[in-house]
Amino acid sequence: MSGDGSVDEVEDHRAYLAQVMAEIDQEVRRRRSSGDLPARVERQLDELFLEHSPVAGRGGALEDALALVDSSAFIDPVVPVASNRSGGAVVKKGLRSLNLWYVGFVTHQVSQFAAATSRALHLVEDRLGELARELDAQKVPPAPVVDVPGDGDPTAWWVAGALDALGSVPGRVLHAAASDGWLVRHLVAGGVDAYGVDPRVGRIDAGEREGLDLREEGAVDHLLAVEPAGLAGIVLSGVVDGMAHGERRQLLELLGDRLTPEGVLVIHAWSPSAWGSDAAPAEADLSPGRPLRPSTWSHFLEPMGYRVGVEEGPSGADYVVTAFRGRADRPR
Amino acid sequence: MKVVFTTPRYGPEVMGGAETAARQLAEHLVAGFDWEVEVFSTCALDHLTWEDVVAPGDSELNGVVVHRFESVAGRADDFYGLDGRLRIAPSRASRREARRWVDLNGPVVPDLVRALAASDADVAVFYPYLHYPVVEGIGRAPMPAVLHPAAHDEPALYLPVFRGTYASADAICYHTAAERRLVQRVHGTGSRPQMVLGLGVDEATEGGRPGGEVLGTGERPYVVSVGRVDEHKGSSMLAAFFRTYKERHPGPLALALVGPVSAAIPEHPDIVVSGTVSEADKGDIVRDAQVSISPSALESFSLVVLEAWVLGVPVMVNATCAPTREHCEQSGGGLWFGGYREFEAALEHLLEDADLRHRLGARGRAYVDEHYAWPVIIERYAGFLDQVVARGKGPTSVL
Repeated sequence: MSGDGSVDEVEDHRAYLAQVMAEIDQEVRRRRSSGDLPARVERQLDELFLEHSPVAGRGGALEDALALVDSSAFIDPVVPVASNRSGGAVVKKGLRSLNLWYVGFVTHQVSQFAAATSRALHLVEDRLGELARELDAQKVPPAPVVDVPGDGDPTAWWVAGALDALGSVPGRVLHAAASDGWLVRHLVAGGVDAYGVDPRVGRIDAGEREGLDLREEGAVDHLLAVEPAGLAGIVLSGVVDGMAHGERRQLLELLGDRLTPEGVLVIHAWSPSAWGSDAAPAEADLSPGRPLRPSTWSHFLEPMGYRVGVEEGPSGADYVVTAFRGRADRPR
Repeated sequence: MKVVFTTPRYGPEVMGGAETAARQLAEHLVAGFDWEVEVFSTCALDHLTWEDVVAPGDSELNGVVVHRFESVAGRADDFYGLDGRLRIAPSRASRREARRWVDLNGPVVPDLVRALAASDADVAVFYPYLHYPVVEGIGRAPMPAVLHPAAHDEPALYLPVFRGTYASADAICYHTAAERRLVQRVHGTGSRPQMVLGLGVDEATEGGRPGGEVLGTGERPYVVSVGRVDEHKGSSMLAAFFRTYKERHPGPLALALVGPVSAAIPEHPDIVVSGTVSEADKGDIVRDAQVSISPSALESFSLVVLEAWVLGVPVMVNATCAPTREHCEQSGGGLWFGGYREFEAALEHLLEDADLRHRLGARGRAYVDEHYAWPVIIERYAGFLDQVVARGKGPTSVL
């Protein structure tokens, strides 16, 4: 096989594997509904499997948990009689016959209760499914990451200013979305302890191979895994542009917690007018929100304790917001 | 460049993923870059007792200088009671309880920590996160510290004592992206300098004999599971699954469990427990297997999965083990099962379709070649250590 490791090839592998796993899943469903494996045996094997599952993986999916309830709902009164001792099986069989009327009466009631409980849980699952479908239709999708004019170019008009703002911060600087690490590379060369994240499949690969600290993660997911005051600087490019108001507010609250008290925030974004033009990417039509006007960032960030400077690009297509926390001596 | 590795066990006799990884990285740094590499370790080989069995003092192994220290305590009898109690809600354990858990787990080696604190190495590497030498040593290392957690989703990971361990690391090196997600979620390490490295895989050693001859199963087709035959590695579960499979699918298929045995597997005419075998025998056995199965849910990397792919053999892995499943998803080289039903259906699929087996095996091989060839791995790792040294020592956490 001649794998070149390209994004397309990886996607092909994943699609093929997904198809095989779907066939297996279909076969599992068919057999489970046919009842070809005694419920007691399946339950024992599933419990054995769960016994050594990871902490976070136990009973993860409602569907799995319900399947376990279903397979446990029938209490078998006919106990096994096999024995390693001579005559043991005969004795056990005799005891079983003597007690079956009593054990059977009790287990019948327990099984009825378990079946009723299982039925109730399935009704809850059905209702949850309906609600999920209804909510799905109304759900606001997360904003996609977009390329902003000048991304990938260390000589772009706003980059020198960003380096100036971040050059002396004491601590790590995050760039999201980092793409192939073009800005991280530039910041590191300028003496900044920078790293980057980007959720787009394959975008970071080249830079990561080069040795840059890049991770394939979304900005919000990543910030959730950063300790409070863990970052001295954050650069956002193409992240906030298409965000709906709620998503943007949530991100800013997270930024406020993860930035050090004297941290610096740089936002490079599309201008609202260019966002509506043919030059904008397709994501402009597909995003739940649109870029803020530059002055709105001041309105947004100043009450949160930032001192904000805004600069529009020469073409009018993009702008940069530079916000300093807790320091009055930084010009912009 | 001078690098010092700290790991609780060290040597070719040690059958542990993390310890083997530490030794391989140390030896490849010496061979590939002529760096000065030292190891601080104990005199123990058994991770259940930590009994001192190797002589203390200095020795050299494949160019690596090894300093061994005696333990003042191995694993205490009280450990199991405390472990059983804390594992119910590990994140709610008090720091004092968690600290006691580390001490009782052993090996307690204060001389090692003192020696590390006096070392003149440029960078210290710690492997894995779980034991006293790392927990105590990482905050006392005077040089930048790189932690290789080798973590999987086990109760101990959530004990509060390890927050200090992770916070004291100047950089972190993961085996897989799944391990990174896990550790980031539990310990909030996102902003630490880090990389996902994995481990290098060598070309397989083969002895040239048919696998069935090595196992004594003749011409019978078989599936194989390589690694410690252990309750916690899922070996008993795999044996139970396979017995049920054979009751429902009579035929010549056999299961070979290959590796040191620490769990009793009930005798069965279709299950062969080989015990430890030579590398050449292992290569022959795996090469001729229909499928290689990794039943363990607790892996942080799993070399055996990659070693099967080197030989073009497809794998089946435990669906709840994020790293091995990630290997399969990324490579397209294997299937996963989340219970007996899926195990049965996936195994049937593979056994009935030689083309599927071939495709999966070939994809696995390509994945290993692209990501886990030693020259690729060691070049990236050396570059990472250079960066860590250049960045310097950061603040350490209070343990």
